Amino acid sequence: MSINAIAGARLAQPGNITQGLSKSAGGADGFAQSLGRLIEGVEETTGAANTAVTDMLNKNGDVHDAMIALHHAETTLQLTVQIRNKLVQAYQDIMRMPV
Amino acid sequence: MGTLSAAVKASGSALAAERTRIEVALSNIANASSTRTADGGPYRRRDVILTPDNVNSFDAALGKASATGVRVAGIVEDTEPFQQVLDKSHPDADPVTGLVQLPNVNTQDEMVDLLQAARAYQANLAAVTVIRDMVARALELGK
Amino acid sequence: MDGISDGALIAALRRQMTVASARQVATSGNLANQHTPGYKTKDVSFDQALGQKLLPMNSTFKSHLAGPGGATAPMTEVQGLQERRDGNNVQLDRELLNMNQASGDFAAAQTALAAKFRLVRYALNESR
Repeated sequence: MSINAIAGARLAQPGNITQGLSKSAGGADGFAQSLGRLIEGVEETTGAANTAVTDMLNKNGDVHDAMIALHHAETTLQLTVQIRNKLVQAYQDIMRMPV
Repeated sequence: MGTLSAAVKASGSALAAERTRIEVALSNIANASSTRTADGGPYRRRDVILTPDNVNSFDAALGKASATGVRVAGIVEDTEPFQQVLDKSHPDADPVTGLVQLPNVNTQDEMVDLLQAARAYQANLAAVTVIRDMVARALELGK
Repeated sequence: MDGISDGALIAALRRQMTVASARQVATSGNLANQHTPGYKTKDVSFDQALGQKLLPMNSTFKSHLAGPGGATAPMTEVQGLQERRDGNNVQLDRELLNMNQASGDFAAAQTALAAKFRLVRYALNESR
């Protein structure tokens, strides 16, 4: 369960969504903000992908642009889901600690 | 319009146009000696008028760059005068002068046109194939 | 990280595919009009095409995707080609060569991009 693996995946991500996450690792507010940004990123890339695919279907845009947009949306979503899962696990670990 | 779909429209438009040129050239060759057409008189050579045709009329109207295809604007008769040949034995020879009016067709020129049209057809067909492969490759990115 | 970032690389590969597509549009138009009287050979005006797509590296991917809209890349008339009697200056071998280059550039960029995508997917899967 290494956060480093996620950081490795970040290297492939244009936009560097995880930058916010590493910078604000210091508190609950930081996590919430970072998660919010990640979700915004998912909405944005998914919307852009939908637009690009629609343009492709309407013969208004290029096929390769749509494919790249789809890939970007996919990786953003995957990354976000994995980070969310890690955060949930970390939270559960903390809650299990004896006080 | 998607770039490659504009390109394939442009290349595709040439297939019909060049095929028309082939057909007209063949017709000219076949009738190179026809002195008696249905309308009377010798066969008159036919010519294909080609004109550029913007693939996307919306883009063109907005002044944007658009792929350029081709269109047959019309098939017209060549106004060059008929050939005059002296041949009294010909059934259509003028009884007084013995001159026969032959079609204004130069078979060698028609052969050149025919071969050029065929080559252009093949080149445009190759373009359609290339574009199809490019689109298939682009779609591979989504797999 | 040293060297070129992944974002810049993907943008560059995408740009190569876009420019190759635009060159194919020009070649298709030229081949289609090789017998049209008065038609002049066109090609993508490279400086303009590259300038349009060259975006700052820190812009979001969304703006990277903002292409030239529905229009194809700007084109100019190619100089120095020999004209035939009807004013047409399309050279068949030049166009066929361009077509080969365009499809080759397109294929190369697509292959590299596909490989990049595979790497990213692998990294994401392995970090589970």
